[in-house]
Amino acid sequence: MNLTTSLVLTPLVAAFLVLWVPGSFRVVTRGIALLAGLVTLAMGVAVFLKFDPAGPQYQMETLIPWVSSSALRLGLHLGVDGVGASMLLVTALVGFSAIAVSWNVERQSKLFYILLLVMLGGALGAFASLDLFFFYFFNELALVPTFIMIGVWGTGDGKDYAAFKITLYLTAGALVALAGLIGLYTLSGASSLDLVELQKHVAKTPLPAGVQAWVFPCLLFGFGTLVGLWPFHSWAPEGYGSAPAATAMMHAGILKKAGLLALVRVALPLMPEGVERWMPVLAVLCVGNLLWCGFTAMRQRDLNLLVGHSSLAHMGFAFLGIASASVVGLTGTVLVMVSHALLAALSFALTGWLRHQAGTLDIDKLGGLLARMPFVGAVMVMCFMAGCGLPGFGNFAGEATVMFGAWKALPWVVVAAAWGGLIIGGVYMLRAIRSVLHGKLPDELQGVTDATSAWRRLPFALMVGGLLFLGIFPSTVTRRVEPEVARVVKLARPPAAKAGGAGGVAAADSGR
Amino acid sequence: MEAHVTTAAASGAKLQDLAWMVLASPLLCGVGTWFFARRLRGLSAGLNIFGILLSLLLSVILLGTTGDHPVAATPFHWLPIPGLDFTIGLQVDRLSVLMSLVVTVVASLVMVYSTAYMHEDASFSRFFALLSLFVFSMLGIVLADNLVMVFAFWELVGVSSYLLIGFWHRKPEAGDAAKKAFLTNRIGDFGFLLGILVVWSAAGTVNLGELEAKLHAQPGLLGSMAGVAGLLVFMGAMGKSAQFPLHVWLPDAMEGPTPVSALIHAATMVAAGVYMLCRVFFLYTVPAGWPEALGFMGSIGAGMILGHVGALTALLAALMAVQQDDIKRILAYSTLSQLGYMVMAVGLGAAEGTPASGLFHLVTHAFFKAMLFLGAGSVIHACHHEQDIWKMGGLRKKMPVTFWTFVVGTLALVGFPPFSGFYSKDEVLATALHVAPPLFFVAVGVAILTTFYMGRLVLVAFLGEARSESASHAQESPRAMTWPLRVLAVPSVALAWFPLAEHIGAAFGGHGHGAAHVVTSGGSEVGLMPLLGRVFGAIDAAVLGPFNHNTMAATFGMFAALLGGSLAWACYGRGGSDPLPARLGGWARLMRNKFYLDEIYSGVVIPVHDVLAMLFSWADRWLISGLALRGLHGSVELAGRALRLVQSGNLQTYSFLFAAGLAIVAWFFLR
Repeated sequence: MNLTTSLVLTPLVAAFLVLWVPGSFRVVTRGIALLAGLVTLAMGVAVFLKFDPAGPQYQMETLIPWVSSSALRLGLHLGVDGVGASMLLVTALVGFSAIAVSWNVERQSKLFYILLLVMLGGALGAFASLDLFFFYFFNELALVPTFIMIGVWGTGDGKDYAAFKITLYLTAGALVALAGLIGLYTLSGASSLDLVELQKHVAKTPLPAGVQAWVFPCLLFGFGTLVGLWPFHSWAPEGYGSAPAATAMMHAGILKKAGLLALVRVALPLMPEGVERWMPVLAVLCVGNLLWCGFTAMRQRDLNLLVGHSSLAHMGFAFLGIASASVVGLTGTVLVMVSHALLAALSFALTGWLRHQAGTLDIDKLGGLLARMPFVGAVMVMCFMAGCGLPGFGNFAGEATVMFGAWKALPWVVVAAAWGGLIIGGVYMLRAIRSVLHGKLPDELQGVTDATSAWRRLPFALMVGGLLFLGIFPSTVTRRVEPEVARVVKLARPPAAKAGGAGGVAAADSGR
Repeated sequence: MEAHVTTAAASGAKLQDLAWMVLASPLLCGVGTWFFARRLRGLSAGLNIFGILLSLLLSVILLGTTGDHPVAATPFHWLPIPGLDFTIGLQVDRLSVLMSLVVTVVASLVMVYSTAYMHEDASFSRFFALLSLFVFSMLGIVLADNLVMVFAFWELVGVSSYLLIGFWHRKPEAGDAAKKAFLTNRIGDFGFLLGILVVWSAAGTVNLGELEAKLHAQPGLLGSMAGVAGLLVFMGAMGKSAQFPLHVWLPDAMEGPTPVSALIHAATMVAAGVYMLCRVFFLYTVPAGWPEALGFMGSIGAGMILGHVGALTALLAALMAVQQDDIKRILAYSTLSQLGYMVMAVGLGAAEGTPASGLFHLVTHAFFKAMLFLGAGSVIHACHHEQDIWKMGGLRKKMPVTFWTFVVGTLALVGFPPFSGFYSKDEVLATALHVAPPLFFVAVGVAILTTFYMGRLVLVAFLGEARSESASHAQESPRAMTWPLRVLAVPSVALAWFPLAEHIGAAFGGHGHGAAHVVTSGGSEVGLMPLLGRVFGAIDAAVLGPFNHNTMAATFGMFAALLGGSLAWACYGRGGSDPLPARLGGWARLMRNKFYLDEIYSGVVIPVHDVLAMLFSWADRWLISGLALRGLHGSVELAGRALRLVQSGNLQTYSFLFAAGLAIVAWFFLR
């Protein structure tokens, strides 16, 4: 069994093991989960390091055929390209951290860890799947525990409504995407949903323009909803606001990115005409993410909702990179995906700590916490600074790259992105730091404590360290994704379509 | 390109790679303090001072070896993507080495000073670590060889300033001031980033040397975007160097500890904007060009606009300084005003082909203003954190070192010969006179105001009788604080006697009128040794130089200083209270309240964002979430209810439905 397969199976096997441990043995369940997380993390690092950018497109492949009729061939096809390898690493890191910060889950902790491990396994499977059927399956496998966890371990008055809303939106989004995938399968004439075979097939017989015209938007809006594309985004903040920390970390950090990966891997390279027709629409919608969600984040009085809205705003950068359909822009999108995974997970880990300590995330009731929490407070300052695009953290590398990549084709959207990222992002992040960490400590909060033991600090340190590493050495990621991105752009913008793109650039130039 | 940035072949080994150590040393020491010495006060102070001194020493070595041509240290490929190669590269040339010397000298003295000033603070080590972080970021700007790297370190300077202003984070005002400083700077950075994008898309590179070479070969390269690019990049400088209307953060930043004000908000960070303008000066010398919508600008270049913004800032800030009572705020407004001078000189310098006069003033100002702030800190320290000058008085006898160094700084600031400020201010005035005579008279007016408010400060705070309990018990500060003052007094007096202006002039090719004329001796070889050798010969020429060169500028400058000083003596020589509010009435109130600019911000700019936020938030909740979700929810619920009607449990209904269904299916197949 190769590395990718073991990576995907480890959490699932661990979940299966936990199933047989009596619920009262909480130390054992948590121990198994942590161990599985650690092993996953080690394997994630190994996959990332072992991936050779100069090697074949997909590496560390496994193919287990499942259905093989002449009309439909399905199989568990796992393997990684540079984008997948980066996402697997960051998923494993966030997965381990999510398990590590869940030390304070007491109620039904066995079920909690089973669901969390299933979520982790599902997410890893989705990023490693090269068969679209299994991609969809793994993605759903990871999504369903989200709904249950918000319902059972969620907090706040609105948690049932939030669970209901997130389920409804994400199911609807997934259905639309599924319709797109089925359309892709039936109308392309390919006899398989295997990505490699689909690509070969499309290279020989491109999809008819009429088909692309409706399959592409299905994928765009279906997967877009899973990512939180404006205006299909409003499930996210409330869902994250009520979710337990680990769930929010996994969903906001990791699962959202599966939708982006699908857009990059499936929608762009297979349907160049769809790209040409729909990318301007995406460019307009991502302004919604960048500005609208940024402004709504400014209004939030609950720290979790603020972080949720800000995470949507950051997705605007990822969409902008996709909309530019350029090598630089898409590389930026991948960097944003990876760094935002860490950023979102870190934010929710921090709010989870605060909620546990202070009992509330109401910004007006918090204050002066830096005095009591030098470690968590410092991590929070770094996290929020990374969130408003401070150089030195991975997000700056990604966002700056996106802006450079999109500038020539979409200058006005980049202006909006710069305003949203530099100013609006700065306003809500600094307001949060000011009112949560600075100033006077309210009397009710005298009893809060910092993360003091190395064990409690480890997940925070890992995620901050990851963000810093990405900020200083982004080339470790970009070097690996370069071949894949170049290939996608070449397919998404074939020479014929490129003329249109170049015309757009020329028009933009003369407009200036 | 090859001709411009020569590789190290000439000097053998890659000596310029020492620049990496200049940059890394403060970072390593700061990070080391953070991780290993957070509870060891002595070690953390020592380690960080050592780090800065190492940078200083290496900068001196680099100065000795820097020739006419910039050399590049081995770059680090930060983010290489096909079509876009972001590197972290260091450019060692006269300009960057000079600036890194200024930064490290001031920083090391401020750190020594801080060992005494911050002695009682519980977060002593954090303070030093943050100072080192700041110096690292600042040196990054100074040594950067490309615009993206400048931007990255620009932001890091912003954040270290944020962390240091908010150092006393329990104080709500400090938190507010830090936030305001960061956000105001961010507005500037927004423009800066777009400016970089405009330049990059037109020229295809962000490397400073390559850009300069390209624009030199093809001045019309930026075409109609030349003016816009210049102004957008200038927005960055407006933020950092606190130019109107983005100046509002600087006075509030005085909430930070005084050594921070001296280092960051007087000598270095605020100078970064001017320095950056000098770095991208080639953007302002290209032919003016505007897009159609701005066609009315005609042939007015971006440089001319810079000149006017600078003059306006200088004037407004000087007027505001006249009616402030907080010793640090007076100095802060004075810094604003002097920064206005520098920006004006750089902007107008575009017409002369060199920004040397602005940069010259930057260098001299860095020393004497840092000294003034440290002197103010010494006073504040002695008066138990009293900052109101009207509650001081009579400190001359009690704090002689502080007093005399403060007087030296004041004389340098007001531009009195032979103090360094006189020569640099004279250069600024000469540039204004040469390019835009109306601005010359504004600048002379500012010089009168400068002497007036500085005279007011010195007369009220140091002379007369002690006006409060804390002032009457004041004692001279410890040696760790007075020695940095003494050391800084030397460049404040004598810096301009050295062939500094010539060095700066040579940094810009020496073809300008700006600085090169102070010292008439020729030759462009300015290394360490020749520099020392020529010092004595040059002093003579330098001291009297301005009067020979541009009699009008020098005379007006002197006259302004004398006039302002006499006015201050007339108003405040007898001590007591401030006569101005009664005499000037509404004007005084306007000045005291900073022309209500802060109120305009908090009454207009911030509410606009808040209203937009409210609007979007409302729409988000009620329209998007409401309609979409409730619509979906509603229709599902409706379907559910309809179906529930069917699930009645009544056998007859079921059999009816069964029959009806059968009938429909049968019809469908048999039709």
